[in-house]
Amino acid sequence: MLKSLYRLRAFVGRYKFRLTVGIVAFGFARFFEALVPFFLAIGIDRIAAGESDVMMPVIGIGATVIARYVIVTFARYNVRRVGLLVAFDLRQALYGALQFQGAKFFSKYTIGDMMTRAVADISIIQRLIAMGSILFIILVYATVFGFGFMLYYSPSLTLLLLPPLPFVFFYARWSARKMFVASKDVQDRLSDLGAHVQENLSGIRTIQAMVQEDNEIARFSRTNQSYADAFYQQAQINSQMMAWMPSLAALCSITILGYGGFLVLDGEMQPGAFVAFFMYVNMVVQPFRVAGFIINMFQRAAVASDRLFEVLDLNPEITDQPSGATPAVIGGDIEFRELSFRYDEDRPLALENINLTIKRGESISIMGRIGAGKTTLLKQLVRILDTPKGCVFVDGHDVNDYPLAQLRSQIAMVPQDPFLFGEPLKDNLTYDEPTREIEQIWEAANSADLRDTIEQFPEQMDTIVGERGVTLSGGQKQRATLARGFIREAPVLVLDDCFSSVDTETEEHILSELKRLRRGQTTILVSHRVSTARHSDRIVVIDSGKIAEVGSHDELIASGGFYAELERIQREGADESDYEGFLGAPS
Amino acid sequence: MAETTPVGRNYSMFDADLSGAVLNMHLLSRLMRWMKPYRMTFAVSGVLILFASTLQVLLPVIISLVVIDHIIQGETKHLAPDLGMIDATEWIAEMVGIHPMWAACVLYAALQIGWAFFGHAHRLTLISSVINGLRDLRLDLFKHLETRPSSFYDRVAVGRVMTRVTNDIEALYELLRGMGTLIGEFVPFFVALAIMLSIDVDLTLMLLLALPLMGTVTYYFRRATRKLFRLVRQTLSSLNQNMQENLAGLQVVQLSERQAINMRRYTKINEENLHHELHTSRWETLYGAFNDTIVHIAIGVVLYYGAGAVIQDQMSLGSVILFTRFIDMLFHPIVVLGEQTNILFRAMASGERIFQALDWDEKIHEPDAPATLPQRLAGEVQFKNLNFAYDQDVPILHDVTFTIRAGEKLAIVGPTGSGKSTLIRLLGRFYDFADNQIFLDGIDLNRIHTHDLRTRIGVVLQDFHIFSGTIYDNIALGDTTITLAMAIDAARRVNAHGFISELPNGYDTQLSERGQNLSQGQRQLLAFARVLAADPEILVLDEATASIDTETELLIQDALRKLTAGRTSILIAHRLQTIQEADRVLVLHNGRVEELGTHEELLANQGVYYTLHSLQFQEADAKA
Repeated sequence: MLKSLYRLRAFVGRYKFRLTVGIVAFGFARFFEALVPFFLAIGIDRIAAGESDVMMPVIGIGATVIARYVIVTFARYNVRRVGLLVAFDLRQALYGALQFQGAKFFSKYTIGDMMTRAVADISIIQRLIAMGSILFIILVYATVFGFGFMLYYSPSLTLLLLPPLPFVFFYARWSARKMFVASKDVQDRLSDLGAHVQENLSGIRTIQAMVQEDNEIARFSRTNQSYADAFYQQAQINSQMMAWMPSLAALCSITILGYGGFLVLDGEMQPGAFVAFFMYVNMVVQPFRVAGFIINMFQRAAVASDRLFEVLDLNPEITDQPSGATPAVIGGDIEFRELSFRYDEDRPLALENINLTIKRGESISIMGRIGAGKTTLLKQLVRILDTPKGCVFVDGHDVNDYPLAQLRSQIAMVPQDPFLFGEPLKDNLTYDEPTREIEQIWEAANSADLRDTIEQFPEQMDTIVGERGVTLSGGQKQRATLARGFIREAPVLVLDDCFSSVDTETEEHILSELKRLRRGQTTILVSHRVSTARHSDRIVVIDSGKIAEVGSHDELIASGGFYAELERIQREGADESDYEGFLGAPS
Repeated sequence: MAETTPVGRNYSMFDADLSGAVLNMHLLSRLMRWMKPYRMTFAVSGVLILFASTLQVLLPVIISLVVIDHIIQGETKHLAPDLGMIDATEWIAEMVGIHPMWAACVLYAALQIGWAFFGHAHRLTLISSVINGLRDLRLDLFKHLETRPSSFYDRVAVGRVMTRVTNDIEALYELLRGMGTLIGEFVPFFVALAIMLSIDVDLTLMLLLALPLMGTVTYYFRRATRKLFRLVRQTLSSLNQNMQENLAGLQVVQLSERQAINMRRYTKINEENLHHELHTSRWETLYGAFNDTIVHIAIGVVLYYGAGAVIQDQMSLGSVILFTRFIDMLFHPIVVLGEQTNILFRAMASGERIFQALDWDEKIHEPDAPATLPQRLAGEVQFKNLNFAYDQDVPILHDVTFTIRAGEKLAIVGPTGSGKSTLIRLLGRFYDFADNQIFLDGIDLNRIHTHDLRTRIGVVLQDFHIFSGTIYDNIALGDTTITLAMAIDAARRVNAHGFISELPNGYDTQLSERGQNLSQGQRQLLAFARVLAADPEILVLDEATASIDTETELLIQDALRKLTAGRTSILIAHRLQTIQEADRVLVLHNGRVEELGTHEELLANQGVYYTLHSLQFQEADAKA
């Protein structure tokens, strides 16, 4: 546990001075607090002795209280500030580390997991520094000063107060653990409940069409009940704690009452000290009560710290080591030379011995079944995957020798998943270079057949898309990402299955625009439709990671292979024999 | 159906008349309706807290009045009401034969145990009555929302309705939890106050003067920080949103070389958040030690005043000490009240939103005397001069008249906005329309109860909703007459058996809602199996527009053929093959029936269908 927390020193160390100042100040504050019962005792003794002059202790209390207020405020602010600053730095570091992760990273971690680290784990560490250290320090001081003053008044009574304290401590620790489990359970059930309602209402039309209302209400009733049960469970544990804690602490009060009472009766202790004892015992019991909570907090922070450093320690997945000998502008000749690739040691080859030369200005269509390796092949070009050395060449130079930034800006790839950011459309279309002129953005939108759609929005190019704004249909999203690719006017354009949700008519229009815009430049696209592919200079069919067919539309039709079969089915529709021949026996 | 929204979203119903009052009696009385079944438990809880509080207050009385005054000081004047504690101590001492000091210890222990016990019982009874009431309220709210019609959901965003069931009820839980704490604080407050007043009115009033001061400071502190907290929350959520989006679109970020710009943007929000956090923190630390300070000053006041009063024989030494012990009990409730005001405020608004939701009464009208349908319908559907508009000013369907013969397969085509989806929505009676416009086997649709009607119509929509549960559950949909063997048979016939048997647990595989663990094609096949198993007389299909890979496409086309065999089918078709295989094609244009006939007839006509067809399917058809 300590080892994990020790790693945070790099982040906390920057604020060492401020943290030390805060910690020392807390010591003074606690001392002043302990002076209040001390002065009160003096006052009570004077009253008991029949004196009426209590000015000295009253002024003592007043002065102490004011000094304590100032110091405590100062100390708390300093420590909290350190917590906030550390959280700030951790966020920056995490964001920075995540920017350079890739496919390997996402095969291991989900976005949800990362968000939990960014939100919950950082906040636990912040709380540990802000609250945990305050509590820890206060408690140490409280114990020291509390026992100090008690020993000053009566060593024998002080020693008698020790036995109940371990009970308080162990009970507190035990219930803190139980409480933690119960609270987590409540949180889980609550998020179940939220997910349940959200998903149910999203599908309300189907539910009603299928007359499933009663079933769904019964199902919700169970989710609802299980939340109520968890809530009651937690409340029960909490209530038990509220009953047991003061009862255990009362063992101390009873000791003072019995033993201390006789000491006063025998004149061995003043009544003032007797009263002060009750206050000091409070000061001492308190640490034992919250000790469990604090231990818990340190443990959770240690786990949080481990989880954060697991990510912070990652190296960038793709290294950027330009050779310096590559041309400043890419022309567009591409060569794959004996390229084989696997995602992981223990997984089969995703690409096997790919040999393919694409000349500058050529247009290429890639076809093949789902999972054949089309996307994997394209990603090698822009090194979104870790491209092996000596296999992929652009203008005669290994892609690994180009600066990463140049490679990715001059080879524009539009990925399969039409992802848009929750920002205005124009920022989405010109994501790589936000300073482009608006005319240029409209032009690209026009080429992607998106102009009419955008013109329908009252906010036009400033329309925010996504959850907080306008929800676009699948086809509209795809056209937006296409526009994002067109606008870059890159020497090489790579479109990974970007027409699947676009209807045939619109696709025709975009394809003719593509022909016009890309004249003399290299274009590679993936498609399932023969109607799309037939426009290309050459068609490459990939099957199980290998190149199965290469040639022009007419050549491939003539050769009567996979492509020709696909063309026939898409033209005529399938007949019974296709299920056996093309797909294997029907299930 | 979910794809297009017939009418614009209208949020006015969400913002209607929130009074914003801190205490809304009407609302509380309405809330009490759900608490009513648990009122006995609630009442018991109230009695228990009275016992607990009295015992709690007696504890310091033993220390000060019994031990210090009576036993140590030998005070005989009884200047303070000891509530029989002295007599009780003496009685125990005499009965057991021990020194009164020990007797006081025994009494102290007994009271402590009693306090703990009654307190615990009070909290349990209170919480259980509240939890049960809120559980019922939440269920009722869910039931209410579950039965609102489609027209309702066209106008509202699911997210905003959903928060009523989750966040708003949650705020009531918070409120009631807070109220429990407040009751636990305020009852001892009044018991202590009564004792203090009976000892010394002047000193008590003097101490009470601190309450308005603490209340005011707390109030202003809360008010000042409320805005700050909001800013902290806002910046924090944009921080999270930024990171989430950056991760979700990381590939695009890297392909666009945006890392540096994004880092700068994130830093800016992070700095903004830090700024607000520090600002809040300054306020919090200033306020944090304020209440302790007041309590300590009050101790000084008691000491100063007490010294004079003891000399003048108005107070005993024990009473002075008792006052110092009561100060906490006197001041703490006001601090807690300050902490709870924000919660109270939020909960009142939430309560209003919940009842507002329960008052949404939009519904589909059901017939007074629903027609009884035969065991098996023939399945003839007749549209007779159907006119319909979601919004009076924008008519969607004009004078639509046609008949689908029993067992016929009809494809509906037409451009977006032509009224295709509306037509099938009306067939399921998802919207109200005038009588005698649609007939099912000659029965006016409005005379059939929606439940009866919908069980006879199998619907496959573009977004197939997957229900939480196993694959089998998703096929049977709660119909106990559909056995596993029947479900497997249905899946086999629609080509779904193949992928299902490859799943880890076959038909017992748990599906998550929205079916993330299935591909789109698989979800569609599953939706087919569901309909086939239910064997409805009429099938309505809204074909998916997105193109799927050719293999899955073939499986779906084949399944569709089996599904429609011998069943009245209405298909909103996007694929040429679906249209070609239909018995007849209906062309809708601007809400009117433009053409109706077989594929060949319509092509020969050279009308709207011919144009549509040559535009959309030119590629594939040119070579046919």
